[in-house]
Amino acid sequence: MGFRKQTDKVEAQAILTAIGLGKSYGKGNSYAVDDLSLSVEPGKVYGLLGPNGAGKTTSILIMSTLLRPCRGTLSICGTDALQHPARVRKMIGLVPQEVALYPTLTGRENLCYFGRLNGLKGASLEARVKACVELVGLSENADRRVEYYSGGMKRRLNLAVGVVHRPRLLFLDEPTVGIDAQSRHMILENLLQLREEGVSMVYTTHYMEEAQQLCNTIGIMDKGKKIAEGEAKQLLEAHPGCANLEELFLHLTGRHLRD
Amino acid sequence: MNPFLATFFKDLLILWRDRAGMLVLFLMPMILVLVVSLVQNNILAVTGHAGLRVLFLDQDKGFVAEAIRQRFQASGEIELITEVQGKPLTEERARREVDSGHFQFALLIPAETSARVRAKSLLLAQDLSGASENSLSEDNNPEPVQVFFDPGVQGVFRTAVLSSVRYALLGVEMSEIERQFSSELNAQFGITPSQENASNAVREPRILLKVREHSPENQEQSRMPNAVQQNVPAYALFGMFFIVVPLSGALLRERQDSTLRRLLILPVPYWVLLAGKTLAYVAICLVQFGLMLLVGKFLLPLMGTPVLQIGNHPGAVFLLALCAALAATGSGMLLGTWARSYEQASMLGAVSVVIAAALGGVMVPVYMMPQGMQKLSSFSPLAWGLDGFIKLFVRSGDLASIQTNLWLFVGFFLLTLSLSIVLFSRQGRSGG
Repeated sequence: MGFRKQTDKVEAQAILTAIGLGKSYGKGNSYAVDDLSLSVEPGKVYGLLGPNGAGKTTSILIMSTLLRPCRGTLSICGTDALQHPARVRKMIGLVPQEVALYPTLTGRENLCYFGRLNGLKGASLEARVKACVELVGLSENADRRVEYYSGGMKRRLNLAVGVVHRPRLLFLDEPTVGIDAQSRHMILENLLQLREEGVSMVYTTHYMEEAQQLCNTIGIMDKGKKIAEGEAKQLLEAHPGCANLEELFLHLTGRHLRD
Repeated sequence: MNPFLATFFKDLLILWRDRAGMLVLFLMPMILVLVVSLVQNNILAVTGHAGLRVLFLDQDKGFVAEAIRQRFQASGEIELITEVQGKPLTEERARREVDSGHFQFALLIPAETSARVRAKSLLLAQDLSGASENSLSEDNNPEPVQVFFDPGVQGVFRTAVLSSVRYALLGVEMSEIERQFSSELNAQFGITPSQENASNAVREPRILLKVREHSPENQEQSRMPNAVQQNVPAYALFGMFFIVVPLSGALLRERQDSTLRRLLILPVPYWVLLAGKTLAYVAICLVQFGLMLLVGKFLLPLMGTPVLQIGNHPGAVFLLALCAALAATGSGMLLGTWARSYEQASMLGAVSVVIAAALGGVMVPVYMMPQGMQKLSSFSPLAWGLDGFIKLFVRSGDLASIQTNLWLFVGFFLLTLSLSIVLFSRQGRSGG
């Protein structure tokens, strides 16, 4: 009975908890991220939506331990990520907005390299590389150099490299930007599969239908602040005039252009 | 495979697959060293700064030709060639070889030169002693000693060679006149010179006033490199420092396409990855250096240059090359951290290396620069390297003699590394 209770407590514990995160670039500059608080539970996907310059990428960089915030606290898998960034890095993965790969290496070589840096070796490395290549549908092209890949193939490999070491928490910064519908569809399928496998995610995107399909919780940011949060259904219910997430997004952030 | 080795092999593979970059790194310094060494070797030959190979055509077979032969050979700088391609030299062949530039000059001692010198000396001796009733008359049909010059031979060198030949001939004539005069006095007054004196007189003129040449006390330190000893290390260093272009480009690309972000969230300290990358680029520099030594040792001599001598301390040579490679990778890291675009990095990298090479004596030796430039030269890492290699290759230097050069390189590496770390930290570990 006691053991069951303890397990339930661990399962319920958020895999990521951010409280009051703030970041400004230099003195006198306004905050790129201001008082951001969010929580991601195990196996759940948190979607961060916002117009250009809203602070989504800065938030991802802070939460993935790349950027130190000016204020706030951050806990990942129960560890203080600001105090002990090296400890939490074993548990996280990052899929950056850009195609962060070595173009003159093959897909397999890229996966092997990042796998080795994450501590994989021997048969387990081989197995993970094979699984990742299959996951993103690159089995036939794994031994071609990345520079000869199409945009969609590069994006898929970008995702595969981010998950080669089986992270518990994955940060994805607009992973489907600039690719065709087929590749986007495949990446979404891959992400849904990862969610099924229990991988938690923080996901930024400009595509509302993606967010609706994938994310358990959606946070909408503007000018560094979180202005709305909840399940897509709840958010739409709270704003009866909005037929879908895109209308809600424009309603909350305005229709003026952001450059 | 641990992260350090994984990064080392990854960067080697990336460099290997960059064929254009490899061509620049390996082929460019080789072509430069071949061209410059061959040109400079020829310049040294026609200005007399290199040992000379002189065609010597002896039609006289007498004491005059023998005396000239001994005088030139005694200088140690001149090799007298009497056969070409296994065949004895003829006047026509000698002219042809010199005209075609294969030899800088040829010396022809005509037949009967010794007999004519002897006859004229006798007449002069008799004239001086008053024994002759016939006054000394001009030879109506003299056959002079002839010197053929390559048209490329410069004026001062040409004058020096002619003066040497004239001096040698004057010495022979004076000795012969002295000998004949002694014989004449003996005949008239019964004075008998010793056989030994008579014999010496033929070979050595009696010199009353001598000129003494003062060389620097430490001749080792003032010994100058030949074209190969100067250019092989110079262009090897030039090529090694060109590593700043691919290295800065690689660092910049990692920063721009967010690969750096991916690397920074790994459970591996970034310095381990940087060390693996540094080792890969240092290894490439050392391979470059090794290949350049092979060019100096085996390829250049096939084209007529002297063989590269690397001295007696190969360990010191390796250590100096290693430190130079570290300095080169350090400057590549600094440039890759500082630059904001690939164009900026490649342009600035290439231009800075060319300027450092020019200042460092790669293109024009430092001792030929004006005083102000020589002072500036001491700030160029390529000058530190070149100075060290010339100490080892030319001046019998050892590890102790290049200590300063090694420390300068290590200091430069640590300085560029520290500046890179400071710049990197300012960029806030955010990938720029």
